[in-house]
Amino acid sequence: MGWTRKSKSSIILLAFVAPALLFYAVFTLAPAFGGVWYSLTDWNGLNPAYRWVGLDNYIEALTDDSVFIDSIWFTLKYVLFMVVLQNIIAIALAVLVETRGRSKALFRTIFFMPNMISMIIGGFMWLFIFTKVLPYVAVTWGLPFLDRSWIGDPKTSFFSILILSLWGGVGYLMVIYMAALQGVPKSLKEAAMIDGANARQIFRHVTLPLIYPSLTIGIFLTLNNSFKVFEAVFALTGGGPGRATQVIAMNIMEEAFQLQSRYGYASAKAMLLFLIVFLITLIQLRFMKNREVEA
Amino acid sequence: MSRGTIASRYTWSSAGIFLILLVAAFFTLFPIYMGVLNSLKTEGEMLNNILSMPAKLQFANYSDAFHKIEFIRSLGNTIVVAAVGLAGIIVFASMAGFRLSRTPGRLSGFLFGLFVMSMLIPFHSIMITLVKISRELSVQGSTFGLGFIYIGLGVSMAIFLYHGFVKSIPRELDEAAVIDGCGEFRLFFKVIFPLLLPVTATVAILNLLWMWNDFLLPLLMLTDSDRYTLLLSVNMLFGQYGNNDWSAILASLVLSMLPVIIFYLMLQKYILNGIADGAVKG
Repeated sequence: MGWTRKSKSSIILLAFVAPALLFYAVFTLAPAFGGVWYSLTDWNGLNPAYRWVGLDNYIEALTDDSVFIDSIWFTLKYVLFMVVLQNIIAIALAVLVETRGRSKALFRTIFFMPNMISMIIGGFMWLFIFTKVLPYVAVTWGLPFLDRSWIGDPKTSFFSILILSLWGGVGYLMVIYMAALQGVPKSLKEAAMIDGANARQIFRHVTLPLIYPSLTIGIFLTLNNSFKVFEAVFALTGGGPGRATQVIAMNIMEEAFQLQSRYGYASAKAMLLFLIVFLITLIQLRFMKNREVEA
Repeated sequence: MSRGTIASRYTWSSAGIFLILLVAAFFTLFPIYMGVLNSLKTEGEMLNNILSMPAKLQFANYSDAFHKIEFIRSLGNTIVVAAVGLAGIIVFASMAGFRLSRTPGRLSGFLFGLFVMSMLIPFHSIMITLVKISRELSVQGSTFGLGFIYIGLGVSMAIFLYHGFVKSIPRELDEAAVIDGCGEFRLFFKVIFPLLLPVTATVAILNLLWMWNDFLLPLLMLTDSDRYTLLLSVNMLFGQYGNNDWSAILASLVLSMLPVIIFYLMLQKYILNGIADGAVKG
């Protein structure tokens, strides 16, 4: 009796899980494990036969592919700027918007709006701003600092990409931080105020420790999304001029689908991307989870 | 310190905050405003004064863009992809999440771990093999097929959210229904599924936003322009005209943005709550 009931429950479990598992296995698990396997081969799109090459692809990517290494450095630089700026701006906006009365809902609506729009659409709109509007404004209003090659010069276009990404991403984190701020008990802030703390001290020593779990989430989300950046760069610079603004995702795309279709080699790069993201998020979660406090 | 100075200092800082927020709001809306403004001008007018109001509203740009991006067809394709993906994710993930949460034991733990495992894998790490598999299964090139792929990519996060939410539903409900002679599937869809509505809303919003705005996967999967989604059509238009015909391009951008903006303004309360909930539990 006990055994049959247990096996019956297992059968019901499998029946409920099967549809999800089927799609998941075919479109996520199989490509993931397949990718690991192909990264160890010299499979390419032109030749159906392929052979095992061990870690050769990985070694080549890390030692003999300056374009790939450049794309890693460029992506890391982007991630660093994004993690810092996006979270600081989002927290600042959340704190400021929370102080508003009637206009709170309106500001929240406005700041979140770009998150509803695809980065491709937003990217083309900003391309219009960078290539048409700013040069016009610079000339007619005599503002020479606006008159620069926002897209053509890789030093400047890095910041153009940042501006677009922040524009499109800050609102999402702001909503998360606003929810966290609403969870901070008023009584604690009042107690600190009675004790003579000023606004900055209250924020630093009362509010910030209590929204720390959201900071963990916010940084986690920014890390994950920034390593995968593709659309923003695709729409603004296409990775150019040359390959000066090429990010990792773009480098993998190019290797797999545009150059000589070296799928095996591109898969090794894809696995390296996974390893980088995985290690860095693991370290981040470890580090930040240890510092969280209870309200 | 007198009362008056505190009060006036308070209003000053409040005014300062308001000013900062106004500047930030201006920055946020500026590209959208410029896009709408110049989509209603002729190309010559735009070059002449990019900041001015249009002398006469050029709706011709919109009818032009409407045809060039095959708006109705592209919108239809996008809706098919998102609807197939969303229906699959909600039905399959709620079933799996519910049963996984209710069943103790090693098998259940293993399956749940298997789903959660992939949540850290970046899409770019699996896309090459995904393209190969989709080609072999003849899923590549079809809007339904693209929806199926979204199901496979989206179920794990949805299962995670459902799994957590089911714990808040009392077990007595399942048992009462079983005594009534309800079958397991009927029990789920009649009794449990309606109770999952709050988390279903969160799952729906997060996934809809993702699928609607995703560009890379459709780019890899849809090769025939008859099947293009809105974003692919806009990208194709941009590839054809580039920097030379901004009035048509801006009109196409505004057109393809319109459905999301309307959706957002109508349902923003639910969307913003969904975002906050999804992040906290995710």
